[in-house]
Amino acid sequence: MAPIEIRDLCKRFGRLAAVEQLSFDVEPGRVTGFLGPNGAGKSTTLRALLGLVRPSSGSATFDGLRYDELAQPAARVGAVLEDAAFHPGRSARNHLRILAATGGHPAGRVDDVLSAVGLTEAADRRVKGYSMGMRQRLALAAALLGDPQVLILDEPTNGLDPPGISWLRAVLREQADRGRAVLVSSHVLAEVAQSVDDVVVIADGQLRAHGTLEAVLGGDDGPATEVRAQDPVRLAGALERRGHPVDRDGDLLHVRGATPAQVGEVAGHERVAVLGLAPRVRSLEEAFLALTGARA
Amino acid sequence: MTALLHAELLKLRTTRTFAAIVGTAAALSLILVALGAILGAEKDPHALFTNNSITYIIVLLGAIGMTGEWRHRTITGTVLAAPDRLRLLVAKLLAYAVAGVVLSLLVTVATMLVGTLILGARGEPTLGPGDLADVLWRNLAVAAVLGPLGVCVGALVRNQIVTVVGLIAVAAVLEPAVAQVAPEVGRFGPLAGAPGGIIGGADAAGLLAPGFALAVLLTWAGVAFAAAAWRLGGRDLV
Repeated sequence: MAPIEIRDLCKRFGRLAAVEQLSFDVEPGRVTGFLGPNGAGKSTTLRALLGLVRPSSGSATFDGLRYDELAQPAARVGAVLEDAAFHPGRSARNHLRILAATGGHPAGRVDDVLSAVGLTEAADRRVKGYSMGMRQRLALAAALLGDPQVLILDEPTNGLDPPGISWLRAVLREQADRGRAVLVSSHVLAEVAQSVDDVVVIADGQLRAHGTLEAVLGGDDGPATEVRAQDPVRLAGALERRGHPVDRDGDLLHVRGATPAQVGEVAGHERVAVLGLAPRVRSLEEAFLALTGARA
Repeated sequence: MTALLHAELLKLRTTRTFAAIVGTAAALSLILVALGAILGAEKDPHALFTNNSITYIIVLLGAIGMTGEWRHRTITGTVLAAPDRLRLLVAKLLAYAVAGVVLSLLVTVATMLVGTLILGARGEPTLGPGDLADVLWRNLAVAAVLGPLGVCVGALVRNQIVTVVGLIAVAAVLEPAVAQVAPEVGRFGPLAGAPGGIIGGADAAGLLAPGFALAVLLTWAGVAFAAAAWRLGGRDLV
């Protein structure tokens, strides 16, 4: 069993199907990006996983158990949701004291997590004076209170400035390196591309892709190569005869279904001078748009 | 449950709203008892010591405490930390019952002290220990039930302004109006009728007997709890 298992999850709000037959796992020790355009069903999926909304069918579990079936859920799973909010008149320290008492965590953890997110000096100030970035740090501190094995973050970069995003990436990586399973949703693709190991892409509530970042970036067509040759016509013909479709752009050939090594071998065999050779990697945006059917 | 209760009491103590409302109500109670003891025409000590506003303010505190979870959108974090929503609701009820009893105890004893000192200094009759204890338990019983009742109404309505205005309208307008036109019905009301029967006073004519009034108030609280538990437990938090 995986730390997070989503199986045939469906959630309907009246006649609207927010999530349909969604299945995927999240593995320990990896940061998994949960990607999709706004309204794709990401937040609904995470809320179903956390027991905040009831699935219409299917299941969303942690090692086979629903969130409310876990012995000490807040110590097992930490979550930062998109609408993480705090009473404006309460200090960060008091917020954490309350959550520690509610979740059954030792009171000493409050100082630990305040230090971990860099809020120690501001801990006794009322939250209404906090910037958006400080609130996000406080939300993460709340999620870390139970030192959880699973960390779930819904659009955590919203409101963070570039240093804040960089800091968050480092925290997520550190958590994964300690063997924790980290699931982080985002619609800002560039922000997660640099920090995730695996990717789950959904659109219209349905799974569109799931795999390592490299596999999803590569798309479904297998490897692709870009080659610049002295005699592109001859090389293109040779590649096509071997079953590799080629799109020609001047002396630049886009070869599908072949690795750079395979293309180089064909070029050597045909005695065509190669001026440049590189794997073609789709940008995350390209992959995302292709997978979700969204328009740039 | 002890940890949840501790957390809920911590919530109460860590906002200025709570301190401001309690302070205002306590000050108002002391001013009213002092004015009543000095200027009142009849100077009935029993009535003086039962008319402290803290007993009623606790219903608003309960409502504000519960609706604040939605107003400040903290309900998600609370439910994540304590996913058993029924236990969460019970912890909140217990917290506001405890808060009601403690606050009512402090304010009632303070008003008794101030009132007895003023009446004694002016040579007016006052209450003996037995009568004071009788007034005290009635105030505490009402506060212990009205706090949780406010929590349940808050869980049902969720909108803070609507809940607070609605409770004040029921207590100050609807129930007195019903009591005027149909006293037999009005005395069963949850915010004025039944609490009035428990507290009694010098002129208890037309009110329910204290024990029966307490049973009526508990029934109101029980119905409100069942409805709140159903609404809280069955709803998606999106």
